[in-house]
Amino acid sequence: MAEPKTKYDRQLRIWGEQGQEALEKSSICLLNCGPTGSETLKNLVLGGVGSVTVVDGSKLELGDLGNNFMVDESSVGQSKAKTVCAFLQELNDAVKAKFIEEHPEALIESNPSFFSQFTLVVATQLVEDSMVKLDKICRDANVMLIFARSYGLTGFVRISVKEHAVIESKPDHFLDDLRLNNPWPELRRFAETIDLDVADPVVHKHTPYVIILIKMAEEWAKSHGGTLPSTREDKKEFKDLIKARMIASDEDNYKEAMEASFKVFAPRGISPSLQQIINDSSSEVNSNSSEFWVMVAALKEFIANEGGGEVPLEGSIPDMTSSTELYVTLQKIYQAKAETDFLAMEQRVKKILKRIGRDPDSISKANIKSFCKNARKVKVCRYRLIEDEFNSPVQPELQKYLTDEDYSVAVGFYILLRSADRYAANYNSFPGQFDGEMDEDISRLKTIAVALLGDLGCNGSTLTEDLINEMCRYGAAELHAVAAFVGGIASQEVIKLITKQFVPMCGTFIFNGIDHKSQLLSL
Amino acid sequence: MIKLFKVKEKQRELAKNANGKGPVKKQSAGELRLHKDISELNLPKTCTISFPNGKDDLMNFEITIRPDDGYYLGGTFLFSFQVSSIYPHEPPKVKCKTKVYHPNIDLEGNVCLNILREDWKPVLNINTVIYGLYHLFTEPNYEDPLNHDAAAVLRENPKMFQTNVQKAMMGGYVGQTYFQRCM
Amino acid sequence: MTAATPSRSRDLDKLLLRPGHLVGPNFEPGPELREDIKEYVKVLVVGAGGLGCELLKDLALSGFRNLDVIDMDRIEVTNLNRQFLFRLEDVGKPKAEVAAKRVMERVGGVNIMSHFCRIEDKPLDFYSDFSIIVLGLDSIEARSYINAVACSFLEYDTDDNPREETVKPMVDGGTEGFKGHARIIMPGTTPCFECTIWLFPPQVKFPLCTLAETPRTAAHCIEYAHLIKWDEVHSGKTFDPDNPEHMQWVYSEAVKRAELFGIPGVTYSLTQGVVKNIIPAIASTNAIISAACALETLKIISGCSRTLTNYLTYNGVEGLHTKVTEFVRDRECLVCGPGVLIELDTSITLRKFIDLLEGHPGLLLSRVSVTHRGKNLYMQAPPVLEEMTRSNLDVPLFDLMDKIPKDIVHVNGMAGKGDKKQSCLRKLRVVFNGIDGVTDVDMAGGA
Repeated sequence: MAEPKTKYDRQLRIWGEQGQEALEKSSICLLNCGPTGSETLKNLVLGGVGSVTVVDGSKLELGDLGNNFMVDESSVGQSKAKTVCAFLQELNDAVKAKFIEEHPEALIESNPSFFSQFTLVVATQLVEDSMVKLDKICRDANVMLIFARSYGLTGFVRISVKEHAVIESKPDHFLDDLRLNNPWPELRRFAETIDLDVADPVVHKHTPYVIILIKMAEEWAKSHGGTLPSTREDKKEFKDLIKARMIASDEDNYKEAMEASFKVFAPRGISPSLQQIINDSSSEVNSNSSEFWVMVAALKEFIANEGGGEVPLEGSIPDMTSSTELYVTLQKIYQAKAETDFLAMEQRVKKILKRIGRDPDSISKANIKSFCKNARKVKVCRYRLIEDEFNSPVQPELQKYLTDEDYSVAVGFYILLRSADRYAANYNSFPGQFDGEMDEDISRLKTIAVALLGDLGCNGSTLTEDLINEMCRYGAAELHAVAAFVGGIASQEVIKLITKQFVPMCGTFIFNGIDHKSQLLSL
Repeated sequence: MIKLFKVKEKQRELAKNANGKGPVKKQSAGELRLHKDISELNLPKTCTISFPNGKDDLMNFEITIRPDDGYYLGGTFLFSFQVSSIYPHEPPKVKCKTKVYHPNIDLEGNVCLNILREDWKPVLNINTVIYGLYHLFTEPNYEDPLNHDAAAVLRENPKMFQTNVQKAMMGGYVGQTYFQRCM
Repeated sequence: MTAATPSRSRDLDKLLLRPGHLVGPNFEPGPELREDIKEYVKVLVVGAGGLGCELLKDLALSGFRNLDVIDMDRIEVTNLNRQFLFRLEDVGKPKAEVAAKRVMERVGGVNIMSHFCRIEDKPLDFYSDFSIIVLGLDSIEARSYINAVACSFLEYDTDDNPREETVKPMVDGGTEGFKGHARIIMPGTTPCFECTIWLFPPQVKFPLCTLAETPRTAAHCIEYAHLIKWDEVHSGKTFDPDNPEHMQWVYSEAVKRAELFGIPGVTYSLTQGVVKNIIPAIASTNAIISAACALETLKIISGCSRTLTNYLTYNGVEGLHTKVTEFVRDRECLVCGPGVLIELDTSITLRKFIDLLEGHPGLLLSRVSVTHRGKNLYMQAPPVLEEMTRSNLDVPLFDLMDKIPKDIVHVNGMAGKGDKKQSCLRKLRVVFNGIDGVTDVDMAGGA
């Protein structure tokens, strides 16, 4: 067998060894292995999760051959869970694949403790009643849960986790942590050793823009009573001053300085979203607090004390035109400051742990370091219980969606997906599931949808006839392409939840397979 | 759409053997744009262009530069151009085929010219590149060196640089490196 | 209500057999539609990699029976985390062949022809045979090529409206890490790949003098070893990124250089990444994008639903963002635009033709150069080419164009009058009068 590292090379470049290790330690439970479930699990087995357990009580039918790749003709009449499990196993022998031939609804009713053994449960194609019950079970057992459903040309994905904290959110674009308008003493002293008006043109064009901006900001402050450029005119003037220092038109470092001048004007201190996390009541830590919140508590103290209003320095600098020597020296100055900040944070973490009666060394250096490096980017996601969302969706949001044209189809599908479940509870089948009296199904679904809107406090809101008709046409069909899309989204969110990297979606994702104007609803 | 395919499929059945068209050379958007660039070339009299593969392969051509001023006066320098099918989304690949003692051209023929790499933009054209190359000979610069030694000499001792360039162009050694005559 | 009889197309039938209100313009639901898709529709999947494997599966399970797949690559170990049709024992085999075989084994009734070759190796006839082309590629060059091929089948009527029977639809997908796009290209209606090539950011290239003189990052050290040092040491021998010994050499040279300058971060993995420009790839993003492409393919062909107009982007890095953008086509596009219709007698010489363009009210083109199917018929400059093409001026254009009754010619020159002249490149639809045997159908491959 080839070294697993090679096999996973293209994903290790995204989530690294640590992310991969988290995946390999995880155990995933899948409820219902139709195409939506099979496709979700396929992507996770390929990625190398530790184990998967497929729960499905149905037997394979001819119709399943038309929408599921993880089954074949010779297995018709046999356990669907067994068949799917065997084909999934073929994809990656490093994964333990198991199956349980039982209906998920029955398992939810009879054996709620079954779910507590898993890292995460992927529940597909469940109706409302089972979703609500499973949600409570998983919430109590502290098991991550994700719902996925494909229905005709629509469907949804919804995460349900009490709280998910992310340290490595890895955003695509984030302002560098350069402190150009607030240099610490070592950085300032280094800048002082450099003369911007040096005569040697080679040296002049290889002075890094970080130094140029620090010095020019200081010059500005000296001549402007200690303030930095703030108005549009100031900023333009500041840029012009930089330009005036160029001695040749091809000085890339000065061009970079002008482009980066906004970094000088950026506000000092911490962002509103980080402020919100620091102010969160969870940062009042106790003996049960998570590592994350202990570190947030330490961060809060750090900002108020040695940080002087700033978080620990990230410690890396972007590439910029510079001589090698100046760049490497600059890099070391940033790294040294980051190390000092880390040590201060480490002391605070230890003190806090001691205060709340825990082992002061229980949070690893590596974790504290990672937290320091990502302090500006940490995220906290919280998800309402499904039952709460179903009974009392966030009114202003719901009203907005119902009246906003961009959201009208997505929110329409949201209402109709829920209405279809109510329909199924009343009539023992989904609207349009069987050929025949389509008109009757349409009018019944409409009545239910109107009633549901009323229950949600949206009397007077209506859905278009076209969409209701469309929903009945779907007849609960599970199309492979839709299932692959919905399952793809579900698996991607699972990866984010398990690796604790990147930011999972917040809200209910409604798939719109008509024109792809899908939406995330925050209800 | 389906009806069309049905009709077309049936017609195809009928039309089989009717005409046997072979593969046809496709002209890429890159080729078309290059065609325009080439037909609008306005070369300085010190530069000439040639097409080793004939008039229908514009994607590979050569430029000869004979500087009329500066250190390299009297020399003849050959550059090869390779243009990709997605030109001008990508810059042309340019190499100097004449071994030259030059601060911005290394002994393997790599050329340090910003518009050939980091500063390339689709609005630029072949003419701009050729002018850029020409200027490297009239104004070699020691600030962005690719041949470190040549740059150091140009910077510290322009006289000696002049002598070295002459030695190289006449055919001979500069330090340990032998240069073919290119005058 | 009656329970349906068991059928493989249980779920798909709901969409294909039932009328709907939010459907395509020519939707005719019924069993015949389902059967016609099986019988008459041929889909080409370009690429059998991360997207291609998914596409073949998705299309095979979306009612399509006749699929072709083309890919020149062989299976590598690093494919296995997402190209789910391949196993460890398949490493080294052609992707197209293994992918086709695996899908046919699993999905009954599906017929997949595999083509283990370059896309340029196939004649235009090969491409004209397909109802729709689905692209699962990772290079701009390949997309641009297929786009040019598909657009070459397009013909316009005298009012510059695309002739429906010549439209070769394309569906294109692309991914990078947690991000991706899916788009529909209806040549003549929605923008073609060339109309919006600016959507693809060019690759970052470091200045050579930075590599040689002022390296600062690990990537600089690696590119130095790759682009400069290699040639210096191995004169004449080309660097092969797939040769592990070559890669190892570049890596160790990069390490030496990094140590010399005190630069951290050179690893073997990064070396491979920089040198091969590796784009990170995972199963889930490929699944999402391919599914969107397959669904749009089904909708375009069957009309069972309205379609995407015309570009979907997906980003799962921070939360989940999907966005639909309606790009507009460039009517002047050299690849998909109608061009200017010019009717000529077969006796007209190239010289006469060039004169004619100068007087043409829609063109007013002077200093004209002419190219046809890769042959340069006349070049105004440089002198060396002018000389080589001058003799064509007195030959009838019809003869120079290999007596093709109607075809595309590209010209460039200066447009406009007086001071307002500007250089431009135009597409012309040249039609020769009085040539028999020109029918709409057999012109499909002639444009």
